[in-house]
Amino acid sequence: MAVKLNQSEQVVLEILQKTGADELAADFAKTGLPTRRNEAYHYSDLKMLLGNVPALATSSKSTSASLVSIEGAYRILIVNGEVQISDEPPAGVVVSTSKGGVVEPENDIIAQLNSALTKETLNIDLQGSPETIIHIDRRYEGEASHINDGVELYILDNSNATIIETFSGSNEAHLSNSASKVILGRKAKATHIMVDLSGEKLRHLQSVQYELNESALLHSLIIHKGSKLARTQLFAKFIGENAHADFAGLILGAKEQHSDISINIEHNVANTTSSENYKSVVLDRAKAIFQGKILVAKDAQKTDAAMKHQGLMLSDDAQILVKPELEIYADDVICGHGATCGQIDEDSLFYLMSRGIEKQQAKSMLIRAFLAELFDEIKIEALKEALISVADEWLEA
Amino acid sequence: MSNMLEIKDLHVKVEDKEILKGVNLTIPKGETHAIMGRNGSGKSTLSYVMAGKEGYEITKGEILLDGENILELEPNERAVKGLFLAFQYPIEIPGVATMTFLKAAMNAQRKARGEEELLTPDFMREVKSAAKMLEIDSAMLKRALNVGFSGGEKKRAEILQMALLKPKMCVFDETDSGLDIDALKIVSQGVNALRDANRSMLIITHYQRLLNYIVPDVVHVFSNGKIVKSGDKSLALELEKHGYAQYDEST
Ligand SMILES: Nc1ncnc2c1ncn2[C@@H]1O[C@H](COP(=O)(O)OP(=O)(O)OP(=O)(O)O)[C@@H](O)[C@H]1O
Ligand SMILES: [Mg+2]
Repeated sequence: MAVKLNQSEQVVLEILQKTGADELAADFAKTGLPTRRNEAYHYSDLKMLLGNVPALATSSKSTSASLVSIEGAYRILIVNGEVQISDEPPAGVVVSTSKGGVVEPENDIIAQLNSALTKETLNIDLQGSPETIIHIDRRYEGEASHINDGVELYILDNSNATIIETFSGSNEAHLSNSASKVILGRKAKATHIMVDLSGEKLRHLQSVQYELNESALLHSLIIHKGSKLARTQLFAKFIGENAHADFAGLILGAKEQHSDISINIEHNVANTTSSENYKSVVLDRAKAIFQGKILVAKDAQKTDAAMKHQGLMLSDDAQILVKPELEIYADDVICGHGATCGQIDEDSLFYLMSRGIEKQQAKSMLIRAFLAELFDEIKIEALKEALISVADEWLEA
Repeated sequence: MSNMLEIKDLHVKVEDKEILKGVNLTIPKGETHAIMGRNGSGKSTLSYVMAGKEGYEITKGEILLDGENILELEPNERAVKGLFLAFQYPIEIPGVATMTFLKAAMNAQRKARGEEELLTPDFMREVKSAAKMLEIDSAMLKRALNVGFSGGEKKRAEILQMALLKPKMCVFDETDSGLDIDALKIVSQGVNALRDANRSMLIITHYQRLLNYIVPDVVHVFSNGKIVKSGDKSLALELEKHGYAQYDEST
């Protein structure tokens, strides 16, 4: 029995039909957008939340100024899905584009839509240890539109790379569906950071896929600051032994924002380890959602995974919803999760104020302290400073 | 105005229980007073109410700092008017660097006085010289605020803050507890260095020993939520000998 499609779903269906994605269109006609009955979208019922789906993006030349500038970084723009390479890449960095989309995590309709509708993917191969930080500056510009874009990063064996992706643009009711696929070769090391700084009318859907080969080392950090509706789904697969990943993230939510980070970590082989460290700070009527799923396959002995979410509630009307889930099929593993949720500590606040510090500043200091751990993990000073200033701007707003 | 602090008939409730039951205390400018009293008699409560902590219901009375009623002021407003409380239990705040905190506090007070922000080199110089006087290791100041400080280090850090903020009314809540004999001397020297005609001090302590180093002008006995006797420094010696029992009767 097919579901009854609502207005937004009808538009999506028509877009798929026009694009010639017949198979997906047929599936979509049956299922529509994910609802709360779909476990992965339980707290982010897209059928209810998505709202108006604008026309597919056309190219836009106008771009606003970059919201984040990282000293010395090599920057590539993707404006409304169109890759714009202007500068010569640094040594060890090979940049190209390919037709079509990039991720296809099985059974996820949002990732499938992205794959079907992305016209051009940015491919970056990183070899050796390029000193330069790669900044992928993804823009949603001009009139409200529906934008699909994709990036594929391949960190070759024994290589080492630092990549930051930022999402920003004109403050219109864009619908962006973006994807990143990051493959780490043997003994490859990567720091991969994604920061959503979009305007407050935006609906931002993002799928991130990681593949870790033998002895790879990954540090992933997702920051949600912008957008009315933001949802990042992360799919990570450990496919080589002795790989390690630190997954981290931060939701900064205010006003009516609905912000969701959902991670799916699969330890598929033996001797891999991961940490998952996520934080949410919410005020006004904002809603933060963290879903963390760790799967340990039958043969993935000696897996070690530790997941935690820490929430800081700055108003009574804000909400933080956390759902950890461990699915373990191996017997010799260490897996744990923990969640805390609290308000600003009154005794700490009083202590700071008793020295003359104004309440607002004292609160900011305590919020910064709460976040410090996430930023302290970033070892490149220019990058760390850029991220701290993102958080500081939020605190000051 | 010749009185720095005047507490008049102060009654305070915590969770419907009356803890302070009519405190009267006047400290003239330049004087140092001591309060001694048994555990649970309400000494820390008095210090918190002075500093403006939330959660206390003031049912009666007032507190004047340099002639101005401060009960309606926020804790930071009281601090910039020159009130300083050295906490009995300084709070550990992970993630806030001690130096960042010290600078924020000094600048907040400068801002309130309409002064420019401190330049970093000047700030560093002031901290260094105060830390030297109190024999505080500079490695300690690189850590998060009070985190991992030993009991004695925390107390020294409180005095360091006081030395930097130069308040006119200093309240010490059991600053001596947790200090070894050498540290007690160092801290006392630090406090004594700050004594002058325009600065007053209130020392809450259980031990007469501290009062050998910081000699008070007046000693008050605190019992069951109020001051029951006041006298000169010999009162502290007498208390050490006979305890508080005789004062329990009188309440
Ligand atoms: N927040 C609170 N809730 C309930 N009771 C409290 C609270 N704060 C203080 N009290 C009670 O008030 C009384 C006075 O406490 P206070 O800490 O002021 O005593 P003190 O004289 O400083 O004792 P000590 O010498 O042990 O430091 C005690 O009985 C204490 O249990
Ligand atoms: Mg006490």
